[in-house]
Amino acid sequence: MVTYARRHGLKPLGAGIGLRRSFYEELPRTGRALDWVEIIPENFLTLGGRPQRTLDACAERWPVLPHGVGLDIGGPDALDADYVTRLAALVERVDAPFFSDHLCYSRLDGVYLHDLLPLPFTEAAVEHVVPRVREVMARVGRPFLLENPSYYARMPGGTLSEADFLRHVVEEADCGLLLDVNNVYVNALNHGYDARAFVDALPLERVVQVHLAGHTRYPDVIIDTHGDRVCGDVWSLYRHVLRRTGPVATLIEWDQDIPSLDAVLDEADVARAALREVAGR
Amino acid sequence: MKPALKHFFDSMGAYLARPGPESLERLYSEHPGWDAPRERVALYGDFIRGHVRGALEKVFPLVRGAVGPDAWGALVEGYTLTRPARHHELNHLAEGFPAFLADAAASNGLAPFVPALARFEWTDFAVFTSEAPSPEPVARLTANPTLAVLEHPFRLCAYVRAKGALAKPEAGEEVALVWRHPEQLVTFYVEATPPALLVLKMAVEGLSMEDVAAATGMSVEALRSAVERCARDGLVLRPSASGG
Repeated sequence: MVTYARRHGLKPLGAGIGLRRSFYEELPRTGRALDWVEIIPENFLTLGGRPQRTLDACAERWPVLPHGVGLDIGGPDALDADYVTRLAALVERVDAPFFSDHLCYSRLDGVYLHDLLPLPFTEAAVEHVVPRVREVMARVGRPFLLENPSYYARMPGGTLSEADFLRHVVEEADCGLLLDVNNVYVNALNHGYDARAFVDALPLERVVQVHLAGHTRYPDVIIDTHGDRVCGDVWSLYRHVLRRTGPVATLIEWDQDIPSLDAVLDEADVARAALREVAGR
Repeated sequence: MKPALKHFFDSMGAYLARPGPESLERLYSEHPGWDAPRERVALYGDFIRGHVRGALEKVFPLVRGAVGPDAWGALVEGYTLTRPARHHELNHLAEGFPAFLADAAASNGLAPFVPALARFEWTDFAVFTSEAPSPEPVARLTANPTLAVLEHPFRLCAYVRAKGALAKPEAGEEVALVWRHPEQLVTFYVEATPPALLVLKMAVEGLSMEDVAAATGMSVEALRSAVERCARDGLVLRPSASGG
């Protein structure tokens, strides 16, 4: 089967980390192994000064992949034209091989909610999202990936399974899939399903990138905080994914209680070793 | 968009505009049979309110300290209800907070300096993240493109420099200059002095050192020294020596 990556000439990039403010000084000068850097484009679309200088320094050393949180691909409002124009310019500027955002909504009545809110798993939502994905891809002009978000409650009216919802959207829109393995794990525990069976039900030939992160356990729910090391179960699920997809660009996502750069790069080293292992099978 | 999906967004919008137990019940009444645990859905209301609070606490640490925890909580709550997040960049939601405080100052018993302090803190952030490009070599003396000028009846520069350790800023008219250093990319702020304003005037109006010396009676040497000091601090940009 021809994968989405092969169709678009995308090669596995290795292991990357997110460019976060606390790394602005140290990251561009690091001597540690790092294959690529992910940025949250919202931090660079309208903010000048130090973020831009750091971004330029990183782009000179590594591939840079924009991973947005504000596209609002599933929302009822029209796409934010200014946002998409700026995003396209940023993608061009860093010459990103692809870009990504989340399968969710994040804006209502013109108000940015600054969160990734789950859609109902319905045919109506699929019909709504698919042309918006196509519009974004046409306007930005690069391959686009949608991420499976974490969610804490199933939205009302759902008629599809989560995996079928994801499959319908990415296949009908013909975009790639950014598989957040921690989200799969968190969702599986919060909603009581088998994480590996869920992975196996996805259109894995469309996976171009993987996210790994930590989470926080509370008595009644697990929150996708990106505030800890990747746990053993998520590493295990990641290896399960890699056995099916082969090597794919893998990000260590750490957004809260961010530790030292070395600690995050240590996690990336573990991912890189897993990627080499699966590449050498 | 199918009517059912529109209904979903409308009902979520009503809840998220004012999250709370009553609006949560109204949301569930719009979707009979929805069996998701209420506390899970309520997480989203908490998250969204938390984002507004988090942005305000990041941008306005001195205002927060100056008004105290109870007043701060009430102000954040009131501002959140105005639904200020109209921009895709999170911190932009803080832009309207100084004006909100100015309107709320009297009814909330805020100290008179608080709205001006909020404007100062927002300006500090806006200058730090200004999209004004890092300057290329300039052909002549040029004002820093990120410069913002604030006027207020309080000595806020000293108060901000003390990181709010003073009980309150002294009263007194102040013109504050706020800019981002072109190399260090950090924010500088000073109470405007006559030499600094004169150097800025030279930059903005393209005046020569000799003409200004003749008009003001200052020596060219003193003027050159003032220009050098302002250039070192990044308040103005000078042509490079090699570029003449």
